[in-house]
Amino acid sequence: MLLSPPVDARLDTAIRTEGLAKAFGSRRAVDDLTLDVAPGEVLALLGPNGAGKTTTVRLLNGVLAPDAGRATVLGLDPAVEGDAVRRRTGVLTENAGLDDRLTARENLVYTARIRGMARDEAEHRATEVLEQFAMTDMADLRVHGFSTGQRKRVALARALLHDPEILFLDEPTSGLDPTATREVIGLIARLASEEGRTVILCTHFLGEAGRLADRMAVLHRGRLVVFGRPDEIAAGLWPGLDVDVDLDGPADVGLVETVRALAGVIDARPSDPGLRVVVEDREAVPGVAAALGARGVVLYGITPRPPTLEDVYFAIEAQVEATT
Amino acid sequence: MTATALGRPAREPIAWGAIRAIVARDLTAVRRAKAVFLPMLFVPALLLVVVPLGIGLAARSVGSVDVSPFLDRLPADLAAPIATRPPSEQMILLVNGYLLAPLFLIVPLMVSAVLAADAFAGEKERRTLESLLHLPVSDRDLFLAKLLVSFIPALAVSWIGFVCFAIVSNGVGWPVVHRIFVPTQLWMVMIVWVAPAVAALGLGVMVRVSARAETAQEANQLGGAVILPLIFLAMGQATGLLLVDLPIAVGIGAFVWLIAIWLIARGAKRFTRDRMSI
Repeated sequence: MLLSPPVDARLDTAIRTEGLAKAFGSRRAVDDLTLDVAPGEVLALLGPNGAGKTTTVRLLNGVLAPDAGRATVLGLDPAVEGDAVRRRTGVLTENAGLDDRLTARENLVYTARIRGMARDEAEHRATEVLEQFAMTDMADLRVHGFSTGQRKRVALARALLHDPEILFLDEPTSGLDPTATREVIGLIARLASEEGRTVILCTHFLGEAGRLADRMAVLHRGRLVVFGRPDEIAAGLWPGLDVDVDLDGPADVGLVETVRALAGVIDARPSDPGLRVVVEDREAVPGVAAALGARGVVLYGITPRPPTLEDVYFAIEAQVEATT
Repeated sequence: MTATALGRPAREPIAWGAIRAIVARDLTAVRRAKAVFLPMLFVPALLLVVVPLGIGLAARSVGSVDVSPFLDRLPADLAAPIATRPPSEQMILLVNGYLLAPLFLIVPLMVSAVLAADAFAGEKERRTLESLLHLPVSDRDLFLAKLLVSFIPALAVSWIGFVCFAIVSNGVGWPVVHRIFVPTQLWMVMIVWVAPAVAALGLGVMVRVSARAETAQEANQLGGAVILPLIFLAMGQATGLLLVDLPIAVGIGAFVWLIAIWLIARGAKRFTRDRMSI
């Protein structure tokens, strides 16, 4: 069993940053970043390539020193106590970073030894995590011939060797085929939900973030443009809740007007299968169904469609692009 | 906050366990990289086994060769022990006991440079550096581990190679010389004093060039220029232009140590996570 108790219960935040900044030459990789992550939370750090996600992970692990601001990870300042932070965090880098000349087991055992485990303990843990990630059969093969998915699994196993309290996953599914992506997402979901680990998920694949994240932080050219729960952010972006009504064909004008006049309905318009209705909240949905039934309309389905994280992200990106 | 503040504070003890693990990891990996490993065996085998064996066999088969013109140009204290021996012994004593000594320095230099290029630039090339930087090892300990990965095998190969050289030289020369004539005093200075200095020099050069190189091969090409002075030294020795006797060998060793320590110290200052992860 991998799990140790998640982040120290006495800490109300696992991670906190205040005005964190890092520049490479004239390019600001991270600019005035202020956010916090609660213990056990899954935070999706989103943004296009070059947004500052990887730099943020490096700053939070004491691999880079900030130019300004400060960070606290598990109550420690990574710029000062980098080793102490890195003992308690695990990082899956975008590139798996395995030595091709070593076997999967050797990659893990040497990492465990560098982390201070005794030889027997290192061997035991390596065997345990390789089994957990279904890599036992390949444990003693050199990594050289491994697929991207197999490398990611070994690298994920390596990140978990020491049972970290915070797990940083930098583009965990990049380069994976759909099957491997689903496998890795499943593994991460299990780590987050069943094991209660704090997870920072850096990605530009929004589907996986939407499935896993409690909150999202969107970075754009190093700046935090939005931070919060996807549904709360969505509420600020769009009024109401979209509902798809399947009538097996577009609704006529009269029906659209009838629905639009109902209490709790903000808007209604014809769509390909029938109607797209915007209601104030989901409490208004039964009223729409009842009104359609009263008019003798044959109703094939009525589906609330809350905005996905993807919808939210693209709306934010559009806003950012419009203002820059 | 400065970059040097990253990692474990300097007052903390050296984490020898982590250093041993990094050294073991790197050496295991190098052992499997034929392109790196084989030249490290081939060159010492050529210089320290094949060449002395050939010289010894030649000395035995051709009988006496007149080396007196060369001996005339040598410093008296080096030439005397050779000149006083019978002519049949003089060639093998001159070549194996004297002329090969500077050439031998190519071994520690090459091994340390190749391993240092693999240890520093190779991490970037294999894209394993970032995952290493995310481990709880201080910059100082990481740097120390990478130095040892290169320095210890360079000395080991040199010293083991020299033992082979001594066995081959004395063995093949026995029918001619009838005594153990290697190591000479010059050889002892080369082995104990100059070879470690040259290994450190190769290391120091590679630490510097690896900071700019993206691949181990690129680092080797950039650092290759360091071998040139040694070639000149060996050629000078062979042609009598530059005559390495004991005081000169001690002086060269001290000079090389100074340069190596300066290079390594400068490399250590620049060896910070903040610089490496960019």
